[in-house]
Amino acid sequence: MLLLLTALVAVSLVSLLIGAGSVGPGRALSLLSGAQDSEAHFIVWELRAPRTLIGIVVGMALGVAGALLQAVARNPLAEPGLLGVSAGAAFAVALALVLGASAATLRISVAQLGALVGCVCVLSVARFRGVGNDPIRLVLAGAAFSGLLASLTSLILLYDQRAADEIRFWVIGSLAGRRLDDLFAVLPSMLVASVVVALIARPLAALALGERVASGLGHHPNLIRWLVIACVALLVGAATAIAGPIAFVGLVVPFVARALAGPDIRRTLWFCLPIGPLIVLAADIISRVVVAPSELPLGVLTALCGAPVLIAVVRARRLPML
Amino acid sequence: MPFSSEAQFRADGHGSVPPPQGYWRFAWRSGHGANSLLFEQRAVAVNLGLFGALLLASVIYLSLGSVKVAPMAVLQALFGNADMMASFVVQELRLPRLAAAASTGAAFALAGILMQTLARNRLATPGIIGIDNGATAFAVASIVGLGVSIAPPAMALAGATTAAVLTFGLAAGNGTQGYRFIVAGIGVGAVFGAITQLMLARVAIDTANAAYPWTVGSLNARPSGALQLLMLGLTLGLATAMALARSLTLLRFKDATASGLGVNVKRRRLEVLLLSVALTGLAVAVAGPVGMVGLIGPEIARSMSSSRSVPVLAATLAGALVMVLADLAGRTLLAPIEIPVGIVTAVVGGPWLLWILMRPQRSFT
Repeated sequence: MLLLLTALVAVSLVSLLIGAGSVGPGRALSLLSGAQDSEAHFIVWELRAPRTLIGIVVGMALGVAGALLQAVARNPLAEPGLLGVSAGAAFAVALALVLGASAATLRISVAQLGALVGCVCVLSVARFRGVGNDPIRLVLAGAAFSGLLASLTSLILLYDQRAADEIRFWVIGSLAGRRLDDLFAVLPSMLVASVVVALIARPLAALALGERVASGLGHHPNLIRWLVIACVALLVGAATAIAGPIAFVGLVVPFVARALAGPDIRRTLWFCLPIGPLIVLAADIISRVVVAPSELPLGVLTALCGAPVLIAVVRARRLPML
Repeated sequence: MPFSSEAQFRADGHGSVPPPQGYWRFAWRSGHGANSLLFEQRAVAVNLGLFGALLLASVIYLSLGSVKVAPMAVLQALFGNADMMASFVVQELRLPRLAAAASTGAAFALAGILMQTLARNRLATPGIIGIDNGATAFAVASIVGLGVSIAPPAMALAGATTAAVLTFGLAAGNGTQGYRFIVAGIGVGAVFGAITQLMLARVAIDTANAAYPWTVGSLNARPSGALQLLMLGLTLGLATAMALARSLTLLRFKDATASGLGVNVKRRRLEVLLLSVALTGLAVAVAGPVGMVGLIGPEIARSMSSSRSVPVLAATLAGALVMVLADLAGRTLLAPIEIPVGIVTAVVGGPWLLWILMRPQRSFT
């Protein structure tokens, strides 16, 4: 854990040091150690610092949401992006954009609402006739659902060229050009979600033992499930509203976290907190460097790196069941 | 008792063995041997019914739109004796588009049922296992100028092949059966989808708009020449698929069973795979990724046919019918705004796919 935190600090530092523009790592480093440099000051503190902060928050949100969703669906492939939760949020944002909403807060609550609807839809499909017992069928259901929502989003965009132009950058998922205002707008809902997650971590761990055991221990499985779904919706909706739909982070982070933390969901959630930002920031740094001076959007990079992980998981002879 | 003494007596000279229940037999003699063909009555009825529905849908397709032409006038215009206006609208504007809709639908559905039979899974259509996305990514690359020297149809074929190689390569360890194969394909499709989005975001808005129909599937921007290529490919592909029909029926069984019944399983699978990929690539070159037709067409055909054989022809006809109806709906529902046909099929096909997933498990294909 300590190692992870150190790594996170190191990656954040690198994220401040590296990027487009004439300010190289050396110059940025001398700025951080106290040198006067107004241009470097602007680039590092006005552009890179917010981006790093947003990366950290988005990473935490997606990682925790992934772990929660996997725990409640009892399915290692349950990932907000794959299951259509992000697609729901994206659809809602597109709808809001076309209807003329531009305020950041409104956009976020709309995205969270969309994520909630997406979550509820997919999980109710999962509980239907044992689709959820087969991880891979659940992913297929999610793919069907995402496809449906993506076409509805396209349909909306057909009506509105301006929104289409605005959204084609956002829909890839990227941390570039996001401002601190966006971050402040999502912080309240993130805080609410964290408090709820802290409260339900213990019952959730009990739920992992099975529904009857959890009831026997005095918990309410259905209530827990609904709270988890609400949290996932808050987290994914907020992250999607700032950074656009970013796939596969919610799949990879809990995997690494489970490998390090073991089966207990409480420990897994703690480990997700540094690992999520670590992966998002690392991907973001790579996205800045790999085709410099232009940038590869983060969403593309996570898809390129995450799809092999998905395939590797699926190829494993026996899927680890939760 | 198919071989009763009476039948044998008649087979000796005056008649023949009665065909199995529910079949018609056409027998003829040539030279030394007697030849015969068996037609399943239900399949004949289904195919004729679908064909009739397709003709009916085509007439409606030709008559509706921003300019309405009465059905009788459509028929007159087709045979060349209507007024100028109706002739122009029907022959010059709507007929090529109808041909594009019908042949892309047919190609997607044929590719779909071939792939489903190959993978023994009714969800394993080219659209779902990422082949559509691969073809689209390559075609968009040629439109936004990353591969200008190569025409979109060729690029789409190359993309379809690349995606197919990737999906099958990655799934190799597990074989092509079951759902794992499909999820591997979803992963491959996600990568190609991301690449397409990336290319669209990096070009000017005008170019992005030009490439946009390609990402959702539309009959608006048909590259010249692609349709002719597709029709040629479809004719050849359908003929090949019909010729392979018997081994397709056997490919549904276990590999050992199929080889025991005289099918060269490896070779047949390779042929079927190549055929399916080629059809998908050609169809994507005309209309972009309208993947759901590859799922819906075969599903309709299967629900109508008996399970004795793989309903290749019925699936092809049903795919054409679905595509024609979807494009008709897209053109007329929200007129004057036109909904791309890919969106219509996805809005219908998404719930359809969920329904297939939620139905109690039956044996596949």
